[in-house]
Amino acid sequence: MLQINHLVKTYGDKKAVDDLSLHIQPGEIYGFIGHNGAGKTTTIKSCCGILQFDSGEILIDGKSITKDPLGCKSVLAYIPDNPDLYEFMSGIQFLNFVADIFGVSAADRQERIRRYGDMLELTDDMAQPISAYSHGMKQKLAVISALIHTPKLIIMDEPFVGLDPKASHLLKRLMRQICDEGGAIFFSTHVLEVAEKLCDKVAIIKGGKLMRSGTMEEVKGDTSLEEVFLELEEDK
Amino acid sequence: MTKAILKKQLMESFSWLYFNRKNGKKRTIKGIIGYVALYLLLFGMLGYIFYMMAIALAEPLCEAGIGWLYFVLMSLVAVVLGVFGSVFNTYASLYQPKDNDLLLSMPLPASRILLARLAGVYLMGLMYELIVMIPALLVWFMVGRVSAVGVILSLLLPFVLSLFILSLSCALGWVVALISAHVKNKSAVTVALSLAFFAAYYYFYMKAYNMLLGVLNKASEIAAGVKSYGYPLYQLGRAAQGSFFGFLFVTAVIVGIFALVWLVLSRSFFKMATMQKGAAKVKYRERMVKRQSTDYALLVKELKRFTASANYMLNCGLGILFMLIASVALLWKGRVLAEVLPLLYEGAEEIIPLILAAALCMIVSMNDVSAPSVSLEGKNIWILQSFPVSAWQVLRAKLRMHLMLTLPPAVIMTVCAFIVLKPTVGEMMFIFLLLVLFTLTMAQLGLFLNLKTPNLKWTNEIVPIKQSFSVTVTLFGGWGIIIVCGGLYFLLGKYVGTLGFMALICLFLAVASVILRWWIKTKGARIFAAL
Repeated sequence: MLQINHLVKTYGDKKAVDDLSLHIQPGEIYGFIGHNGAGKTTTIKSCCGILQFDSGEILIDGKSITKDPLGCKSVLAYIPDNPDLYEFMSGIQFLNFVADIFGVSAADRQERIRRYGDMLELTDDMAQPISAYSHGMKQKLAVISALIHTPKLIIMDEPFVGLDPKASHLLKRLMRQICDEGGAIFFSTHVLEVAEKLCDKVAIIKGGKLMRSGTMEEVKGDTSLEEVFLELEEDK
Repeated sequence: MTKAILKKQLMESFSWLYFNRKNGKKRTIKGIIGYVALYLLLFGMLGYIFYMMAIALAEPLCEAGIGWLYFVLMSLVAVVLGVFGSVFNTYASLYQPKDNDLLLSMPLPASRILLARLAGVYLMGLMYELIVMIPALLVWFMVGRVSAVGVILSLLLPFVLSLFILSLSCALGWVVALISAHVKNKSAVTVALSLAFFAAYYYFYMKAYNMLLGVLNKASEIAAGVKSYGYPLYQLGRAAQGSFFGFLFVTAVIVGIFALVWLVLSRSFFKMATMQKGAAKVKYRERMVKRQSTDYALLVKELKRFTASANYMLNCGLGILFMLIASVALLWKGRVLAEVLPLLYEGAEEIIPLILAAALCMIVSMNDVSAPSVSLEGKNIWILQSFPVSAWQVLRAKLRMHLMLTLPPAVIMTVCAFIVLKPTVGEMMFIFLLLVLFTLTMAQLGLFLNLKTPNLKWTNEIVPIKQSFSVTVTLFGGWGIIIVCGGLYFLLGKYVGTLGFMALICLFLAVASVILRWWIKTKGARIFAAL
């Protein structure tokens, strides 16, 4: 579903991502772990086609993000770490806007807005302007907007930040459900316990380089993900 | 502490000068010089208008021995312009900046934050005031036979006056904030209040010539009146002539007024800045929504952005109102115009359609909705960039919004002009074509300039809307195009005739429009995608 091959991105003299390769299959929840400034957001933004990279290739559902960006974007959804949404719209206006862009039928959008809105307890606030939303509410709205067009691939940057425990639990359940239905999820997180429990595969990045990747068992072995991560961090 | 926050405020206000928002780097010295030169040119053009006004007033008043009245009158004009220019900025800077929460959460007294905000407003007011005061002072020094002390005090007075402008601006901004904090539809109220202010200003402006004549005819009576009933104003004039007492008196009065305003503001600033009464919660009621096309959704999004912001509507869409006012004025008083124009251009009647086209285009150019539209995406840019829409689709929606907001009132205004002035069918055709092409070119020029100088890092929307390169150059660029075309007519008109000249301008605008469209669709789209 998502293939990152030899991705390189530099900012001036600094290599933010250095020859990174990852393959995410349908049905997989793939965690992306690294310290602050490790290159996670740069990789994620490159995958979503909102950041141009220097070399390498990113394929989404077999299509190149550089050659067919619109084709790629039509099957993916992106949730950034800080969901800055259109504050001049209400929640429902934003969802309808997203649905219109992705060509979701009236009946489908109504059913999905109801389902996910009720699930994340946001339905009552849909008519409110987004400017009146809390960070958590914006995060929930961003999640609903990502799910409204049933994407094959969801890319999320720190999706659990700002969510209350219940919403966080529901999101994890939703993520599992989406992948069980054949979708794929690639997300970055600092919460290693969540990654350990939720992810099928995990990749650890440091200074733009891939340090370790594979199934959870392959990466952590008999220890915990936290121990592996800290061990890699200490290796200078 | 105060120094740091003042520095931050000044850096924000003048960041456009030394900071390239496109690449996040410091400007080169050449770039800064270029920017300063451009702004000086624009200010010079406006200043020339006030220079002419100053000349008209100064000579008769100085000859009549009441030169102080000249200084008072020019100061009043400067105050009006200063308040007019800075009042909206005051409201946005004091009560609406995005970093209010950040600063209020820091161990800073609210009064220090207020002081920093006011410093920015003071400079903004001073900038507008100097457009009048620099030419006024030049004329004053040339005509007024001012002593050395008078020169020094005259040079100091604009800085004192700017404190008065700040006080008035703050008082008005405070009223706007107070009302805004208690109403549901803030944008609508802000627009209504601002338009009332505009109406008052333009009423004053329209009457200015008659007032000028009135002042000159009754100068002695007015001078006596000011002495009796406007003592501080009299002392202002005397200060400009070199009276120390006058200077100290005026300064004391203005500082006193500012102290009062400061007292009110400092007591209410924290409450105002943290008050979010808002509207009662509206419960969502599910209803079936018709599926719309991508292009329609993008256009609606742009229109929502426009109508949600009083700043955007007032600064970039004011032309809509002016076009409608012009339409009514044409139908109401147009007969006078129809009678006067042939008399005014007796022997050169063929120029009238060209004058008409220029006047219509001048009003149309007051709409520069597309000019800040890319910058206004701000932190939301990721949304459109991550969606399966091409950059061209997004940019086209911005252009369509501009055309949708500008063309209908422009057409209404043009039809009204045709009804009143009754040009020939050929003239009508060319005026109409010229107007449509001019609108199209201006929409694309604004977008082109904004793509060349985007700013997504603003903390206050007033920065891209009012203080950006693209908006300023689009606004004055439109007028520049009209003036250049006027000049060209005097060179080419005798060879090609009025209609031929209009056809040439249409051709020029059509070519410019095609080139701009090509650039926006290709290079512009690439720039937008990479922002």
